[in-house]
Amino acid sequence: MFYIAAAIAVSSSILAVTRKNASHALLYLVLTLLALATIFFLLGAPFAAALEIVIYAGAIVVLFLFVVMMLNLGRASVARESQWLRPGMWVLPAIMSGVLFGVFGLSFLGTENAAQIEGVMVPPKQVGESLFTTYLLGVELAGVLLLGALVGAYHLGRRYLDERREE
Amino acid sequence: MFQAGLPYLILTTGLIVLMVGVSIHRSHQVAWSLTVLTLIATFISHFFVYEAVATDIVVITELFRVDSIAYFFNAVFLLATLVLVLFAQVFLDRRTKFTEEFYVLILAATLGAMMLPASTHFASLILGLEVISISLYALIAYPDHARPPLEAGLKYLVLSGVGTATLLMGMAFIYAASGNLDFSSIHITDGSMEGEILFLIGNTLFWCGIAFKLSLVPFHIWTPDVYHGAPSVVTAFLATVSKGAVFAVVLRYVIEADILSSDTISNAIMLIACASMVIGNLLALLQNNLKRLLAYSSIAHMGYLLIVVFLISVNTSLGYESALFYLVSYFVMTLAAFGVIIALSSKSETEVDTLNGISGLLWTKPAAGAVLIAAALSLAGIPLTVGFFAKYYLFTAGISEGMWPLVVCLVLGSGLGIFYYVRIIFRTLEKPQEELSVSVPWLGLSITVLLALAIIVFGLYPTPLVDLIRAILVFPPTL
Repeated sequence: MFYIAAAIAVSSSILAVTRKNASHALLYLVLTLLALATIFFLLGAPFAAALEIVIYAGAIVVLFLFVVMMLNLGRASVARESQWLRPGMWVLPAIMSGVLFGVFGLSFLGTENAAQIEGVMVPPKQVGESLFTTYLLGVELAGVLLLGALVGAYHLGRRYLDERREE
Repeated sequence: MFQAGLPYLILTTGLIVLMVGVSIHRSHQVAWSLTVLTLIATFISHFFVYEAVATDIVVITELFRVDSIAYFFNAVFLLATLVLVLFAQVFLDRRTKFTEEFYVLILAATLGAMMLPASTHFASLILGLEVISISLYALIAYPDHARPPLEAGLKYLVLSGVGTATLLMGMAFIYAASGNLDFSSIHITDGSMEGEILFLIGNTLFWCGIAFKLSLVPFHIWTPDVYHGAPSVVTAFLATVSKGAVFAVVLRYVIEADILSSDTISNAIMLIACASMVIGNLLALLQNNLKRLLAYSSIAHMGYLLIVVFLISVNTSLGYESALFYLVSYFVMTLAAFGVIIALSSKSETEVDTLNGISGLLWTKPAAGAVLIAAALSLAGIPLTVGFFAKYYLFTAGISEGMWPLVVCLVLGSGLGIFYYVRIIFRTLEKPQEELSVSVPWLGLSITVLLALAIIVFGLYPTPLVDLIRAILVFPPTL
């Protein structure tokens, strides 16, 4: 089961990099993240798997999709959009995610006979505890990291806003 | 126990106060003064809490371990940042309408740099490294309406991102082999063939990532472009503080994880060091741009510094002594060289960074020219400068430990290096063709003169610096 999920993760990430269309690439990216979440689940880390889906596949990629779609506003994009919705495009991701779903379901049903990867269950409580004890300073440093990224992005983004306003 | 963390707290507080202050009222003067004040307060606070680390290692959670060496690194980084911030005030006004964020970012980067020498864990290593890198992406691309900085920022973003990804992958493999993330226990594998191979793969990737960050051959391609495109203040920060911090954490990693006990890894690092010393100097020979030339020269200097990595695993205290001395002298001379470029470029829109631009500098701007000559002599390792003693340390250490390939490359590299450093000096001494029209701010000029004085004073009489370093190493914290 691990190998199926890993194969899907690798192939969909290759497809994500090689797609010319940003939306299609993002579709494969979601698939990669779902496959990774399945692997996490198989490794005995359901919490990490859930986070992977909620944060990456859910929030971040949807944000990406919004940005990509907003950047393409205009008349030309209507034609492009009809091209995006061409049926051929979503067949492969759909098949792959179907297989992934199968793997996920199987891991619930028949864990006894399947080759299990050794691992320890990490419950959410333990994650939270270590974040606020052992890794407390790490979390705070990560806060500074995000602050730096935010301020930097703000500064770099503002110059284009200003240019647009001047025009 | 927590008083040892005071400097970090002061810097973080200053950072937050500055950010809130900027969002309430924008004023370049206020932001600048607040930054200078924060840096000085953080620097001074080290002396007040030094007692805590002078006799004991202070462990702050699993991630950080503060000792006197970490404090020394912090002090050096803070002084270097302070010098650059003093330069930045005039320099930025010509380049951007919004100057305040620069100070927020540079304080964040300094905090990251201060965290690295105290790191004992992969998590704190990667976080500290990323705080520096992420702030640097924006700092490099900081000036408005200019293409070269933006291009340099993008290049650094992509390549540094790849470097970090490689580093993380390496950590993942090392974790797979040992099940540990803190430096002191990662070399414990179960002794199986599989574990050994995973450990080697992990360390290979880890060192590739580190070599990216330190711009060592063969991962040096980004260096000249980024150095050239970035505003000079940021280039100087990149060349000194960012590299010094990575180097500090590498030293600790090498000692605690006992990495060089593996022949494969130590041979690979030796190869990287030799290649950096020779190729870095070779590529610098025909550069006509001062910043690109200094970029290649920094590649070579990082190669020289790698000798310390070998030294430190056989003789920790001598290794640390030469590492700290070399790093201080590298900081002083690099800052002096960049200081001249920054001072000359401060009042103009573009950077004065070509060899033609400094032609006859000694006659048109005597002080700046003299500083540049002192910096070039010191970078070349000519006697009577601090750079000579730094190289002398490495040279004697290399001979006493019988590291012949490294010593040969050190001599070869230094020999090649003299050629292009002397080129800088000749251009400075030329008869000026035209009067240099740029005016130089007095503050910047006086700082560069101070740095040049430090080069010569420590070059003539290095005892105080050596004594200071030895005093810090009296209680050998990581032995």
